[in-house]
Amino acid sequence: MTAPVRWQTHALRLDQLALRAGGRAQGRLLCEVLDLRIAPGERWVILGPNGAGKSTLLMALAGLLSPAAGRVVLGDRVLSGWRGQDLACARAWCPQFWMDPFPVTAWETVASAVLATDARHDAATARGIARHWLGQLDAAHLAERDVRLLSGGERQRVALATTFAQGAPLILLDEPTSHLDWPHQGLLRDVLHRWSAQQGTIVAAVHDVNLAWLLATHALLMDGKANATYGPREQVLTAEAIGSAYGLSVGVFLDGDSRWFRANLERQP
Amino acid sequence: MTFASSSPVHDKAEVGPEAEQPSVNLVAPSLALATTLSVSFVLGVFALGLLSGSSGWGVPGHDILWKIRVPRVLAAFGTGAALALAGAIIQLVTRNPLGDPHVLGVTGGASVGALLFILLLPAGSYWTLELGAMLGALASMTLVFALAWRSMGQGLPLGGQSGTATVLLVGVMVGTACGAAVSFILALASDAQLRPIVFWILGDLNGATLWSPVWVVVAFALLLAWPKARELDWLARGDAWAWTLGVPVARRRRLAILAAGLATGAAVATAGSIGFVGLVAPHAVRLLGLRSARQLLPFSALLGGGFLVLADTVARTLISPGQLPVGVVSAAVGVPFFLFLMLRRRT
Repeated sequence: MTAPVRWQTHALRLDQLALRAGGRAQGRLLCEVLDLRIAPGERWVILGPNGAGKSTLLMALAGLLSPAAGRVVLGDRVLSGWRGQDLACARAWCPQFWMDPFPVTAWETVASAVLATDARHDAATARGIARHWLGQLDAAHLAERDVRLLSGGERQRVALATTFAQGAPLILLDEPTSHLDWPHQGLLRDVLHRWSAQQGTIVAAVHDVNLAWLLATHALLMDGKANATYGPREQVLTAEAIGSAYGLSVGVFLDGDSRWFRANLERQP
Repeated sequence: MTFASSSPVHDKAEVGPEAEQPSVNLVAPSLALATTLSVSFVLGVFALGLLSGSSGWGVPGHDILWKIRVPRVLAAFGTGAALALAGAIIQLVTRNPLGDPHVLGVTGGASVGALLFILLLPAGSYWTLELGAMLGALASMTLVFALAWRSMGQGLPLGGQSGTATVLLVGVMVGTACGAAVSFILALASDAQLRPIVFWILGDLNGATLWSPVWVVVAFALLLAWPKARELDWLARGDAWAWTLGVPVARRRRLAILAAGLATGAAVATAGSIGFVGLVAPHAVRLLGLRSARQLLPFSALLGGGFLVLADTVARTLISPGQLPVGVVSAAVGVPFFLFLMLRRRT
């Protein structure tokens, strides 16, 4: 299974990045001097309490929002220096919410992302790729359904299929598991692992700390007070760090290489 | 696992046989069927329109046919096509199924522009009404989008959902303001000016003999919007997502304003303000199974044009020898038609 010719991975570098809420100059400070490198083949999770800036950071990485200071560099170019079409082939962004104002089938939704990055595809090829990715996310049976009539988890799988079908190696996922049940969380884990095995890169905002551990090689923990810790998951995802970011007491159970976190939700520290 | 751009040959094995079959063969025939249906519908209503008169049905004499009926049918078709095309474009860029040049105040703006030009320019100048209507439509549409755009969060999903409602509400406000402005202009107009103005405001094809300008504008707007139809489809699923696919969002929005504004202005200049065509036609096309903007835009124009020809035929013959304003008929036909289509697809 060889990667196609135009599959070109880039490292993502955050250079003294500062972000403010909503990308506005007077917005709340979300992070100040984020300085890190995300290499091809790595899977990063972004964790942090509500409003800590996870979605804002993802949008900054997607190029949708200009940072308050510093820069985001993809490959050898600052993100704002990329041509829109080239950027579409390099990174895909899966938003938290989807708008479906008009009736459209699931496979048409996925195929639109295929055609966006390679207009040379004919309709049948685009449909084939769309069906492939729907199948990967256990949504092949939904191909002919109207996306507006899908359940939350089904719509989310179609959205994920759309994101992967775009064919960009860098995948930015905003809460990709928020509607998924356990089997489909496991399925997504497998898809992400295979993606990174082919030198694809994942950055995902996730709420479930235990799921985050399973998905990630690296983690970025934002505490909502403009502080962030980041690095390999073993260093970042500790009971102390998570507890202090969320303002809770957190226990951890070690099971071989795995960690299971449990927060004490009944008693504030 | 393979990545998206690799060959889909092996997909059949992975996806399973039952998922592979349905739509592969369906798209082309449904397009052919829809084309046949729409074209025969349009030809049918053309024939009806040509054979019907206020004095009854029948083949008209040479002069009546070529000097009255043909221009009127062509004007009705162009007007309906322009409104439907504008409606389809507006619905896509505002992500709002209720988008319509009338609802968003664009026809109102066109009316104000046309009336202002009639009042301010010397009587007898050429293209007064047409120019005023176009400029008024473009100005009001730009105003609506400029006012609503901030609330749409520059297209980011942060406030994106509520933003589409804001566009609609801003449009209703602009439309209301335009209505007030029309009343104000009517109060200022002299008696001699008043009569043609009132007839025109009623939304009437009676006396609409100048059909070529609106056809030219429809063709121009379609040529403007159609090459970017795919990108309009993506915009309908969120500005931010469309932007990540490489769509120059602001430029496409300006293109949509230009195309929809010109089309609405031309329609209003031809036949006054007629509602409902812009709302109904795109939905009817979607329910025919033609959902992508590449098909939606031309077929909306085709169906909208045919619909207005039919409505005008009814308007001329229903209480003959009297005539109804076509706006009355388009609403009377459009409302139950729309309800029927909506209710049918929910069951």
